[in-house]
Amino acid sequence: MKEKLIQGGKAVASAFDVRRWEQKTRVIVGVLLALFVAATVLSFFKPSEQVMMDKASAQIRHELELDETRSRRQVVVTYNDLYFINYVSFTTSGVNGLSEKYVGFVGVHAADEGVWNVIGQFVNYTYRMLGCGQSVLYGAKLTILLTILTTVLGLFISIFLALGKISKNPIISLPCRAYIFFFRGTPLMIQLFCIYLAIPGIFEGFSWRGLFDASDPDAVFKGAFVAAVIAFTLNSAAYCAEIVRAAVESIDKGQYEAAKALGMTYGQTMSKIIIPQSVRRMIPPVCNEFVMLIKDASLVFVIGLMDITTISKTISASGSYLVFVPAMAIYLVITAFFTFIFGKIEKKFSVYE
Amino acid sequence: MSMIRTEHVSKKFGSLEVLKDINLTVENGEVICIIGPSGAGKSTFLRSLNQLETITGGKIFIEDELFLHREHDRTVESMDKQRHKELMLEMGMVFQHFNLFPHKTVLENLMLAPMTVKGKTKEEIEPLARKLLNDVGLSEKADEYPSKLSGGQKQRVAIARALAMQPKIMLFDEPTSALDPELVGEVLNVMKKLAEEGMTMLCVTHEMGFAREVADRVVFMADGVIMEEAAPEEMFNHPQNPRTQQFLQSIL
Repeated sequence: MKEKLIQGGKAVASAFDVRRWEQKTRVIVGVLLALFVAATVLSFFKPSEQVMMDKASAQIRHELELDETRSRRQVVVTYNDLYFINYVSFTTSGVNGLSEKYVGFVGVHAADEGVWNVIGQFVNYTYRMLGCGQSVLYGAKLTILLTILTTVLGLFISIFLALGKISKNPIISLPCRAYIFFFRGTPLMIQLFCIYLAIPGIFEGFSWRGLFDASDPDAVFKGAFVAAVIAFTLNSAAYCAEIVRAAVESIDKGQYEAAKALGMTYGQTMSKIIIPQSVRRMIPPVCNEFVMLIKDASLVFVIGLMDITTISKTISASGSYLVFVPAMAIYLVITAFFTFIFGKIEKKFSVYE
Repeated sequence: MSMIRTEHVSKKFGSLEVLKDINLTVENGEVICIIGPSGAGKSTFLRSLNQLETITGGKIFIEDELFLHREHDRTVESMDKQRHKELMLEMGMVFQHFNLFPHKTVLENLMLAPMTVKGKTKEEIEPLARKLLNDVGLSEKADEYPSKLSGGQKQRVAIARALAMQPKIMLFDEPTSALDPELVGEVLNVMKKLAEEGMTMLCVTHEMGFAREVADRVVFMADGVIMEEAAPEEMFNHPQNPRTQQFLQSIL
């Protein structure tokens, strides 16, 4: 009896063993990634509405005919209970487009109770939060696109801001200081409001939607996305500028002297000597900033865009709190993937150390 | 023709006077060693020739052309920018802490400045770079990063890097002070070879043996002033100035 207890204790202990935690983390991330990919791949099998209707039972057919008149909650529950891998995709306006916009299922499988029900919900929610079957500006696709654009553009601008702030010439350094002070000192959400709402208010005749073809049904969202990219970039540039400044200032003074003694100009010294060496030191904090951005991207809901957080909140409002599990899993996978990429870049840049 | 001539050069950091009225002439092909206690202004003097420090007063001539004339921390006279840049490139500098570019390989370290500053192509400069590496005995390290080299090897690369710009004057700022004692010799040998090839050299050093053997003239500086200037034999065997005698006594 005692031995058994000890053995059991050991088994539990080994499960929580911190040794080989790196491998364990890798396995967990790997499994999540595999599930994520599987759900995405499955979701691309999109039978036509006709095929789905044919496969559906009489009861489902009846439900579908009725669903224009039903509340969204009832419809969702009906679908989740009856199907395994039953993808229902909503337009942002809710239930109206429902009957023609359920985008696919693979096989018909009763998923009305127990584990199958849970799995069915997970897949369904994951699919919706990824933004499959929707425009690019929806769900995870929106989050990833916004974050990458913001980081790339923000970093580019921040190099000039940082060099400007270091500059000894007050005409250059003061505006840069003021910029960084302002954008770090005010909330991103208000900046987003200002750019999205105030700019069209100030410049009469300008509208974000007007940037795109009027016949494009997504013009509103595209316009909002452009505004979001601008606001996030301006904000992120201010934060990155401090990262870049710290990295540039951490480079040994001897490097500037050596470059000057070899006759290089300031521009050549910066582009060939200082910035390339700073990159290596910038990557960890920039990765940090990037990961924060992935989560900050949910702020776009204030200007009518739907990201992962917003979608999960919408789904949970209809009573399914299970949705937060795949929501977190999606964030984890995105973060894990980009952390991995940044790690690779860091390794590439530290080859000389 | 003198390569470098300074007249009444002075340098102040705030109220601290680091250089006071320095007059020195370096002839073509001459090797001059500057010795003296720390804080004497030796490095500052060398660095102000290369514009790493800006002098507060005095005149600097390079190849008998007025390079810079400043009084009371204001530039009185300067030469046209293009020529100024050309003359700057005729001075190569070697630092105490090497200051190699750590993100470039040894060969890239040598080729970077000729390519960016002089606009040469890789094909034009690579043979020279490889020859210089061979001269300093490091041809097999061409593709290593500086972090893989010993201090002595780094300093030899730094010398080769300065030479890749084909300067007429080499300034050495305590090139062996940061090295382990057993690595000093390899760097000094490279410098000796350079001196034998007729390079004009101005060298701040604490290696008295090197100064005695290689220098044409030894300059003793203390408290921002050139106290004594003489041939090495004279300087080491019969120093005239009491300050020089005291310094040499304390180190020999």
